[in-house]
Amino acid sequence: MNEIPLPGSSSRSLSLAEAAIWSVLLLVTVLSAVTRPGLFVDQVLGGLVYGLILVLIALGLSIVLGLLGIVNFAHGALFMLGAYFSYQFMAVWGVSFWIALIAAPLVVGLVGVVIERGVLRYLYDEDPLNGLLATFGLSLMIGEATRAIWGGAPKSVAAPQILSKGMDLGITTVARIRLFTVLVAVIVIAAVYLLIERTDFGLSVRAGVLDREMAEFLGVNMNVRFISMFVLGATIAGLGGVLRGTAVGMDVAMDEQFIILAFVVVVVGGIGSLFGSVVAGLLIGGTAYLTPLYLSTLASITNIEAINVPGIGGLVPYLVMIVVLLVRPRGLFGQEGFLE
Amino acid sequence: MSDRTSTINSNEVGVFTALQSVVGRYRVPIGALLLVFSVRPVVSMDLLLGYGAVANSILIWMLFAASFNILLGYTGLLSFGHAMFLGIGAYVTAIGLARFDSPFVLSALVALLVAGVVAYLIARLIAQKGEIYFAMLTLAFGTTAHFVANYDPGGLTGGTTGIAGGAVPAWIETERGLKYVSLGGFQFDWYFFVAAAVFVGLLCIWQLVRSPFGRTLVAIRENRDLARAMGINTYRYKVWAFTLSGVVAAYAGAILEVNEQGATLSLLTVQTSGDVILMTVLGGANYFFGPLAGAFVWLFAEDFLTDFETLVLPLEQFPLIRVDLSGVLSYWQFFLGLLFVVAVVVAPREGIWGLFRSVVKKAVDRIKSERDNA
Repeated sequence: MNEIPLPGSSSRSLSLAEAAIWSVLLLVTVLSAVTRPGLFVDQVLGGLVYGLILVLIALGLSIVLGLLGIVNFAHGALFMLGAYFSYQFMAVWGVSFWIALIAAPLVVGLVGVVIERGVLRYLYDEDPLNGLLATFGLSLMIGEATRAIWGGAPKSVAAPQILSKGMDLGITTVARIRLFTVLVAVIVIAAVYLLIERTDFGLSVRAGVLDREMAEFLGVNMNVRFISMFVLGATIAGLGGVLRGTAVGMDVAMDEQFIILAFVVVVVGGIGSLFGSVVAGLLIGGTAYLTPLYLSTLASITNIEAINVPGIGGLVPYLVMIVVLLVRPRGLFGQEGFLE
Repeated sequence: MSDRTSTINSNEVGVFTALQSVVGRYRVPIGALLLVFSVRPVVSMDLLLGYGAVANSILIWMLFAASFNILLGYTGLLSFGHAMFLGIGAYVTAIGLARFDSPFVLSALVALLVAGVVAYLIARLIAQKGEIYFAMLTLAFGTTAHFVANYDPGGLTGGTTGIAGGAVPAWIETERGLKYVSLGGFQFDWYFFVAAAVFVGLLCIWQLVRSPFGRTLVAIRENRDLARAMGINTYRYKVWAFTLSGVVAAYAGAILEVNEQGATLSLLTVQTSGDVILMTVLGGANYFFGPLAGAFVWLFAEDFLTDFETLVLPLEQFPLIRVDLSGVLSYWQFFLGLLFVVAVVVAPREGIWGLFRSVVKKAVDRIKSERDNA
């Protein structure tokens, strides 16, 4: 016990309890997949789409948090604005989906500029609580404005012909818009990753995250980078909103619902880690969709109906977060000591 | 904090000075006493709402916000799950009354106990986490509480409908929508009961925050590392601050249960937790009366602005300017949100009460200097 294990070098063997948990999980997965293959594929895809939407929101959150030290509660409102702008473009002005897909996120980006210049820049280097509170107020304002402009009733837009049809997978059919969502999300995530990890711009941004003052001494204009990264985050959230709005529809409650889950994703993945956000998003999406299926499979095997808790899928993300944070306070891939 | 500190220079001995010193020393309880009994007369004025029914819930929410301020204002902990304790207070009381036919006092005491135990256990787990993590974890536990109440374990909590029937204690009599308390052949308005109960709650909070315990919380808020270096076990103090805050919130919840004649699921939503944050910060987390002012402004605006249709200046009888605001002011939350954002950016801990205090102070200073000059 006295030895301090080096990270990465410890090849610890699975304890008996862990092995038991993993084998039960594997068993239930196989059983669920065999007994109800159609439902299983549906849930896996549903979790994937849901998780990727969460990742799109969480990316911007994570960037803003790592770079500016601000917990941007208004990010969910930007996501919602993306959905409502696409409604405005497509249903009100009759623009095609493909133009709305590009234009709506860009308009959201403009809103992001206004927020950053109007409010957030006064809150850099302040107590992180103030940023959280101010953006909380902003999200309230945007939510009310949305209700005033588009009304409180749920809205939906029609996806273009090519995306609205279902795709036959043999055991089940999937709406093409969901596959399209997966495609776009993967491209965007890859692009953001390349931008931050492989370009000079990304390098200077990362330098700013590590030590902003030093980066500024070396002649990096951090302000420009802050704004552009904030706008990038807002645009991606808006894009997520367009995709979600087209696939499922939109209402004024989606703001709060998604921002909280996106926070959960960021916290579980580890604050400041983009890779962690992606993993956590998929983990949360997957568990939220698969847990009900697993529980119902377990209930049907063991004949204990009490296992099959209705609505458990909505609670699972929070349970995952509580467990992860208690076991590993910095999240799955977070840096130690950051905002802890 | 300056609500509680009063430097008294009592070189002169006299009745007036003695009175002044007592008032200065006890101005928070005196102010609270005046406040709880004046809310209804004030909101019932024709110029304002014209009816006093909302005064009960304003008072209860004031107490709830004050309990939240033990955390945010005095200890510096931001909880996104404080609705949990309001909900536990209301639900456990309602369960005791409706499902077990137990008397109100017993049900309420059990509610406080349950809230205290839950708060203590949660705080033991999460009190030492960083601000953001703490906020997220309280949010997660709050959502879990909402889930449990919605899940309706054992038919106790009633799922989405909540607990509606039979959840009113026997000594409450309802006549044409108004509630009366009748105890031992003596009948009085429900409002006075609420006012007295809220006053007792505020008094408890005041005693708590001016005690050495409360002073220590302030020390932790101001500089955690320094507090720790002085030998304060910050973890234990945070745990107890969270627990006591939860108990007081449950106390507010128990009163709210009687006021609303049951417990509803909406009490446990994230929205409720968010509202109390907004009220507290808008009112001014730095002051004892800040959250109370915030709760008053918030709930008053909700009722007043939603019904507000035309602004007529200067008077109804002599309309010079008539502005139709019916379409705009129903979205009152937008404007309060704007006020909130401005408050956070300009002075995050001052709020409306801080603004009010500085205005009053300036006016008093001016009058004093004019009197001295004359």
